[in-house]
Amino acid sequence: MTVFISGGCKNGKSTIAEDCCLALAKGGPLYYVATMQAYDDEDRLRIKRHRKSREGKNFITLEQPRDLLECLKSSDPENGTYILDSVTALLINEMYSPDRPDADPEAGERTAKALENFAKSVRNAVFVSDFIYSGAERYSGYTVEYQKALALCDRTLARCCDAVAEISGGIPVMYKGELPL
Amino acid sequence: MELVTGGAFQGKLDYAVKKYGLAETEIFECTEDADPDFSAVCLTHYERYVMRCLRNGTAPQTDFGGDQSCADGVCDFSGGAHGPLVIIMDDIFCGVVPADPELRAWRELCGRTLTALAQNAEEVTRLFCGIPKTIKP
Repeated sequence: MTVFISGGCKNGKSTIAEDCCLALAKGGPLYYVATMQAYDDEDRLRIKRHRKSREGKNFITLEQPRDLLECLKSSDPENGTYILDSVTALLINEMYSPDRPDADPEAGERTAKALENFAKSVRNAVFVSDFIYSGAERYSGYTVEYQKALALCDRTLARCCDAVAEISGGIPVMYKGELPL
Repeated sequence: MELVTGGAFQGKLDYAVKKYGLAETEIFECTEDADPDFSAVCLTHYERYVMRCLRNGTAPQTDFGGDQSCADGVCDFSGGAHGPLVIIMDDIFCGVVPADPELRAWRELCGRTLTALAQNAEEVTRLFCGIPKTIKP
């Protein structure tokens, strides 16, 4: 089963996603696809907090900040249950890198395709994204390009996943299917 | 009239085009620089028209009178006597309060405009990552 989860920040998306994985694994291996690259103390604190919330849940961490499909080689997709937290961070890493000053214009389509292939290749996957589309600020070109690329990834996953939920205040609002909870 | 809302790039126009079989010529994309063509079948980016109203000190149009719904999928727009069938508006009012006073006023006017439109709409649909959810009726 595949699940796509989005919603506002600090609304309980990761916790619900992890609980979905635990319910889906049924004895198979649990993988945490870690997408975040730490650039500062704020990032390190966030990673520490997420690690702590996963403690005792028996996740095997796969460090994969980009080239998502690579982590399938070092894991067991046929039996595994994967959590990808988050699509947002994966796309940032695909779009921007320290060795290129501009945004990669092909990152959106490439990442959306990789996500779809990933969803089709594994036994269970839960994808977590962020809903960043409803503000009044006028963003610069790069930010709008990023929003567009993330929307493509989100819409691709919403189309191919079995369940789609928006998490609001820790409560899932269903758009498709049911969560395995 | 059906009101379609949701965040940017969520598939609102795709949804309306598919549902009503809209031709490109039937879609009017609002701008901040000119008044919209209210005889168009579909008005998109209504939030830009709201910005125009804000700058002109006028009230955004939210009541078009009559029944613009389509019986059995057949719509009559002869002579533009009816208001639009579909209005699409980004929900730009969910984010952080902007520092810019004009954007702040725009954000609030958009919220009030969407609420008034929703009251006058037969149907209100919200798009989330390409998936529509009808929230009225």
